[in-house]
Amino acid sequence: MEQSKGKKRKRRGHGLTRRAFLKGIGVGGGALGAGLLAAEAPRREGAAAGAPGTLGPGPVQVNLKINGQPRSLRIEPRVTLLDALRDRLDLTGAKKICDRGECGGCAVLLDGKPVYACMLLAVDARGRSITTIEGIAPKGDLHPLQEAFVARDALQCGFCTPGFVVASKALLDETPQPSLDQVRQALCGHICRCGTYPRIFEAVLAAAGRPVKAGRTT
Amino acid sequence: MAETRKVRIGYGARLEEVEVQVPDGEPAIWDAATRLDVVGTAVPRLDGPAKVTGRAKYTYDVTLPGMLFGKILRSPHPHARIVTIDTSKAARLAGVKAVITFETPEFFAAVESEDSGRPVDEAAKAEPPAGKRRVLFAGEEVAAVAATTQEIAEDALHLIEVKYEPLPHVVDLDEGRKPGAPRVFPQHDNTLKAEVREQGDVEAGFKQADQVVEGTYRTPVALHNALEPHGAVARWEGKTLTVWASTQGVFGFRDDLAKFFKIPPADVRVITEYLGGGFGAKFGAGVVGATAALLARRAQAPVKLMLDRHEENLATGNRPSSVQWIKVGAKRDGTLTAIHLKSYGSGGIAGGAGVSGPIWMTYACPNLRSEEQDVLLNTGFAMPFRAPGFPQGSFALESALDELADRLGLDPLDLRRKNYIERPAKPLMEQYALAAKAIGWERRQAPPAQGAARASGKPLRGLGMGTAVWPVYGGPPTEATVKIHTDGAVECICGTQDIGTGTRTAMAIVTAEVLGLKPEQVRVTLGDTGTGMYSPASGGSVTLNSILPAVRAAAEGARQKYLKSVAPALGAKPEDLDLHGGRVVAKDGGKSLAFAQGASRLKTAVIAAQASRAENYKDRAAELVGAQFAEVEVDPETGRVRVLKVTAAHECGRVINRLAAESQVNGGVIMGLSYALLERRVIDSPTGNVLNANLEDYKVAGTLEMPEIVPILVEVYDPANSIGVKGLGEPPVVPTAAAIANAVSNALGVRMTELPLTPDRILAALAGTKEA
Repeated sequence: MEQSKGKKRKRRGHGLTRRAFLKGIGVGGGALGAGLLAAEAPRREGAAAGAPGTLGPGPVQVNLKINGQPRSLRIEPRVTLLDALRDRLDLTGAKKICDRGECGGCAVLLDGKPVYACMLLAVDARGRSITTIEGIAPKGDLHPLQEAFVARDALQCGFCTPGFVVASKALLDETPQPSLDQVRQALCGHICRCGTYPRIFEAVLAAAGRPVKAGRTT
Repeated sequence: MAETRKVRIGYGARLEEVEVQVPDGEPAIWDAATRLDVVGTAVPRLDGPAKVTGRAKYTYDVTLPGMLFGKILRSPHPHARIVTIDTSKAARLAGVKAVITFETPEFFAAVESEDSGRPVDEAAKAEPPAGKRRVLFAGEEVAAVAATTQEIAEDALHLIEVKYEPLPHVVDLDEGRKPGAPRVFPQHDNTLKAEVREQGDVEAGFKQADQVVEGTYRTPVALHNALEPHGAVARWEGKTLTVWASTQGVFGFRDDLAKFFKIPPADVRVITEYLGGGFGAKFGAGVVGATAALLARRAQAPVKLMLDRHEENLATGNRPSSVQWIKVGAKRDGTLTAIHLKSYGSGGIAGGAGVSGPIWMTYACPNLRSEEQDVLLNTGFAMPFRAPGFPQGSFALESALDELADRLGLDPLDLRRKNYIERPAKPLMEQYALAAKAIGWERRQAPPAQGAARASGKPLRGLGMGTAVWPVYGGPPTEATVKIHTDGAVECICGTQDIGTGTRTAMAIVTAEVLGLKPEQVRVTLGDTGTGMYSPASGGSVTLNSILPAVRAAAEGARQKYLKSVAPALGAKPEDLDLHGGRVVAKDGGKSLAFAQGASRLKTAVIAAQASRAENYKDRAAELVGAQFAEVEVDPETGRVRVLKVTAAHECGRVINRLAAESQVNGGVIMGLSYALLERRVIDSPTGNVLNANLEDYKVAGTLEMPEIVPILVEVYDPANSIGVKGLGEPPVVPTAAAIANAVSNALGVRMTELPLTPDRILAALAGTKEA
């Protein structure tokens, strides 16, 4: 069901709402796209108003599996996964920056693949395994990738950082020894306004055990 | 009240001793002769772990019990009179707890402060009350709601019925200058009086010149787009107000709210523990801060009001556009004889569009004249944007100088060196040499003859450069406190905010240096007016040079108290003891104690020293300089520019944290690259609406645009304070666009005169046609 990395990105069907509109993130984005497409299936099935199985518009019970824990919440079906995480579960590591799939600040892993949480309804994440930045490393600990981000100063204001860490984690899970170009491609759906990209490249390559020239980015 | 001290100033091997007048009580000045253990090393940020794990709580992440969500309704019209506003349906919607309308211009006047951008609209205030309020740009605030969820707040906005009477508008810079153009303010023309500044006699200067170049350069309106939007979480408890705010100036934000609600500043507490960028757009409480607090008061519940990305791009500030006509004259050997600049530009309904800073500060030239005009338009207002005016001015000046060099057959770098302004401890010549070497400047060739580049069809390479200059600001008042607890815990407290530059870590570094500890042993509190430790807003490259001298003075005070308490235990006098390597040691090499052990002998539970920052020392550290070189490759088929490499030599006085300083240089270069190649706000003239108010269509540089960047820091000793730190935020963004544009012009053999350097413009330049 999941589309593997590197394959041609699937194009969207039409007639979808803005919420469902999908932005890929380069090579890694293929996986992102596939994750979202799969997640949408139940909604399309019950798309006709009042059809059996239609959710809402009032609040509904939604059970999610987040960072290995079952979480239950009552929300309107229109609530995005990002707003559910941030406003209802106080998991505020994923950031709301553009709210339309342009910046990557809200990236989470859905069954191990990076997705933009602002582009996915929470109800469509039912039955999937969601990993947020808070779940990347055990509580109180740092993942080697996070250690590399800190050591290499791959963050300034830090607002984009959770998204970059999540996407980098997904990259290294699939491609443990990426080239610089693969790192650029995997992170091209993310924006850092402070301009920390060179150090992010260094951190990801360092975490992958690849040689990095300090101060040099190519 | 002052004493004279000798300090060693300069850089590298170029050192000299000078006398400085310093205020009484200053600690030993850290000059070129001082060796430090922690300051200047590469220290990973103390808040790094919190940021990489998502634990860091920004304003946007604050949640309070019973908190409501605020939303602002904005005008879709660029200029209109509000005839009626009916909020009754919105107010009846289940979950809506407060609705306010901004029916009077006085609201905006009341939230205005000197630094929050929006104009104090005297003209609008003077309008008769019966005239109803005018909205002056698409995106201006009309009403606001607070509701139990974000979704309900959005629904409520749709239920507010506003009847507008559209008025004629103008959003285009050149249209706005025409006689008969719709006026933004009825009382006066859109084009304001020119600011004229002159030195020498430019006409005489041009007569002395052997070569004169002139050209007109254009730059777009750019948008800050800090990733955390503007916003605040406001909570009232009785008559006191606590606000978590996304601001680069907690004290300014506090004072604005105190003024707005007519309460003492002490009754307002503003907290910014983590800040998702600002770049100049987040000074003052502004409408957002005042609205959050007003909604909270009306609803009698805490309110979170964060703008969305669309709003960020409409109504939170911009870097004004510019049209610059510049004329430069020089002798055959490159000696400048005159520079004349005439410019106009618009930040919208308010905000200075001046760009002349670089011509007045960068190069030696006896005859200078600048004439600058602001043009008012029906668009969102300007806010300072990282080195306000300088990236624009630098683009025109450096482009003209490159053209001059080409005409004179001189190396562009030699032309800059020829017109160097000599100052003590100025490292620019060194920076030119280092950055030129790192890029391989000797490979630069004269630009191809017109038409030749296009004919070849091959990728075109070019090299270009520019000089950075920025005045050193910063100074008192700033206060800090350092505390030592009996368990050895050390705290450093200052109200200042960390905009993302590493202020928190820098405070720990200086405290650790004075107390002989490691930075991670210092607990830093910042971003809180409740500390009472005043500091200025973070803008203009002032944060570290304002706060660190106060931090050091406080740490020195705590050190003295600590040594006095511990001395008896070591059988020594306080002045014979030193703090080093986490221990208190006798200078004669005798006894020593671990720092915490020593602290356990304190007679009080805590010792605290509060200190204020002294005045700057006279005649030291007037400016920051830097040099950047860029290499580009242009595809003549597609018009695409790829920046291959940028070398950026900068200074910040004494380096505090090498890692953070280099990151800041990288960041400036990247922001400058983005401005050079991608960024521009696009407004539709007929509707007056911003067409690219998002991060998809308003392009900012991403991973694929990254060149190799080589940050080079030249440490300079020229102390105007006890630490010798000068600042770093602005200079790295100043010359990047100019250096890239010069590299592109060098590659094409055609002078590029308009930013951004988009493929259509490159192709038009290669084809020798006028741009569309």
